[in-house]
Amino acid sequence: MTATATAIPVQKKARRSDRPPRQVIRQPLAERVAPYLYIAPFFVIFAIFGLFPLLFTFYVALFDWNPIGEQTFVGLANFERLFADQRFWNAFVNTFGIFLISTIPQLMLALGLAHLLNHATLKMANFFRMALLVPYITSVAATALVFAQIFDKNFGLINWMLDIFGIPAVNFLSSQVGSWIVISSMVMWRWFGYNTLLYLAGLQALPREMYEAASVDGASGWQQFIHLTIPSLRPIIIFTVIMSTIGGLQIFTEPLLVAPESGLTCGGGRQCQTLALFLYEQGFGQFEFGYGSAVGVALFVIVVVVSLINFFLTTRTRKAR
Amino acid sequence: MNRRKLALPIAAVGTLALLMSGCTSGGSGESSGDPNAEFEFWSFTGIGQKDSVERYLEKNPDAKVKLSEVGSTAETATALTAALAGGRVPDLVMIQNDELPKFIENPSNFIDLRTLGGDDLGEDYLDWAIGEATAEDGSIIGIPTDVGGLGFAYRADLFEAAGLPSDPDEVAAMWSDWDSFIEMGEKYTAATGQPFVDNVETTVFFAAVNQVSEKYYSPEGEVTFDTNGEVEEAFDVAVRAYEAGISAGIAAWSSGWAPGRANAAFAVSTAPSWMLSGYKTDAPDTEGLWRVAAVPGVGGNWGGSVIAIPARAKNPEAAWQYIQTMLTPEAQTEHFAETGTFPAAKSALESEEVLSYTDPFYGDSQIGEVISESVLQFNSFLNGPDTSAIGAALLNTLVDMEAGNVAPREAWSTGVSSAKAALGG
Repeated sequence: MTATATAIPVQKKARRSDRPPRQVIRQPLAERVAPYLYIAPFFVIFAIFGLFPLLFTFYVALFDWNPIGEQTFVGLANFERLFADQRFWNAFVNTFGIFLISTIPQLMLALGLAHLLNHATLKMANFFRMALLVPYITSVAATALVFAQIFDKNFGLINWMLDIFGIPAVNFLSSQVGSWIVISSMVMWRWFGYNTLLYLAGLQALPREMYEAASVDGASGWQQFIHLTIPSLRPIIIFTVIMSTIGGLQIFTEPLLVAPESGLTCGGGRQCQTLALFLYEQGFGQFEFGYGSAVGVALFVIVVVVSLINFFLTTRTRKAR
Repeated sequence: MNRRKLALPIAAVGTLALLMSGCTSGGSGESSGDPNAEFEFWSFTGIGQKDSVERYLEKNPDAKVKLSEVGSTAETATALTAALAGGRVPDLVMIQNDELPKFIENPSNFIDLRTLGGDDLGEDYLDWAIGEATAEDGSIIGIPTDVGGLGFAYRADLFEAAGLPSDPDEVAAMWSDWDSFIEMGEKYTAATGQPFVDNVETTVFFAAVNQVSEKYYSPEGEVTFDTNGEVEEAFDVAVRAYEAGISAGIAAWSSGWAPGRANAAFAVSTAPSWMLSGYKTDAPDTEGLWRVAAVPGVGGNWGGSVIAIPARAKNPEAAWQYIQTMLTPEAQTEHFAETGTFPAAKSALESEEVLSYTDPFYGDSQIGEVISESVLQFNSFLNGPDTSAIGAALLNTLVDMEAGNVAPREAWSTGVSSAKAALGG
């Protein structure tokens, strides 16, 4: 056994050096070019709609750029202004606040739910699985309008229920944390089903016998969840964490629509204005394309940095185990 | 929140990039010169331009119009900016007054309408309305289509229940200035225990700050809002109204606003001419309970718009024919009768049709007379490129004050610094 196992690589090595390398690689031009042509559409489209705008944003950020007037080169002045701008840091804090309180509970909820759905001998299991996608296919605009109504200070469902128990009305949208909760609940409602299905797909690929064996060995549902479900889902968990990070840091529509009375600031005191919304306010509200682009560059850097941190954190825990 | 979120910023910079790449090619400006050629018309929603186009086609059966209702006023201005920066421009476009200063600042993007209609072009229209559409070099880039004459709507039944007069003339006389308005509110709130106005930022501050002789800019075009006593006084009126405890703190267009109108959550709210139809949609069951009276102080205006022809329009002749046909005082009067948008032509404002206009929803109050009067008394002042940014910053500070996040005493200084941040200083 051992002899053959070691013999194979040796043989391979020998064969490789025996052959004149040119003859092997020699192929008709068309055959050599074809693979590149097959993948070209993606890269061409990416270059036009992804790479070029990205680089162009870096360029515009160096200008005081009026789209219908003058464009003057100002160097890094936009960035200097940005770092001194209270509104930018406010948006920065809001973005992370909303991101944290929406992503963490959301992914945990999705994990638990996926475990249940995978396990349960539910009748109409497929129905429940499909139902998870309903929030995802609902328009964000509709979601935002409904949630704003539910959380309304004067006529909202939640305050109406609080009133039944004699608790005075809460003005959710007026405070920073309150408005974060409103937006996070919107994000969670919309995305937890999507993530649940991702996890569920991962779980379905696992052999059922594994769980059966665990049950026979006397592992409780909780122990199975901790020791079987979570470790086997690790690659998918990493994927969802990264995707949620990218999406969560760019959250835009929900804060745009939840407080329409204050325009693009999400509340009179900018209590829920996110970075993406601040970018839009500067670029397309004030038509300060240069400054807006500087916000875009900053947002890009932040997303890259946070995604990398998340990536290292989630992969490191695997090694630690 | 996953992949789709990427789409937004990328789309934003993508549009930007596309605009820029289109920029170099420029427009050909090959004017067909045919006034009946098909022209493209961008309007915003909710202003009834479809009716206007239909009537134009009745008068000009040979003409061809392609009308696009782009979106809200701000969305339309954004689309126009994108188009001017390098895309395909429409032949005719409506611009709301708040968005106008940014376009007026760069007049070369538009045709100077005097070259089509002569130097006396603006004479038919309200001086301040045509003034807003006139660039520094004297070129007129827009013809006023309508103005946002201001009145206050109030609930006659609630006023009566609180022992206040309910007839519009008596009400207007009783709240002749802002102090008496606040006093009246205190009486109402004392009698009923209910808030008097919906909020202080749009109903009080917007009305009061448009009654000044000089707003956020000096006549020379310098930003002076922070040192202008008139602006501070208007702001202070709003703060005093809030401190008097007469406000429901329901911001305009917030989720509670429409239900508030329907459920008597407040008795008074602002009512510029274009908003009157909104009350009917939001609170159909309150028909006949509302009245419209003159605002405290001297007249007022909120909103209004102009119509302009971009410099690179393909069919400026056709667009100009539309302007000539549909923006005469007579045509503006007709349009008012159909849709309720208030005319900007002087003689239309004094016409019988406008002055005698009433509406059973508002208990047959003399809406036409009240709003026409309000528009004619309105002061003109200079609006600069950052007028709407400054206004939004001050307004948002008041919203925040009503939410309990800013102390009334600190509101003015907070508002000033937030407006200065918006100006980049």
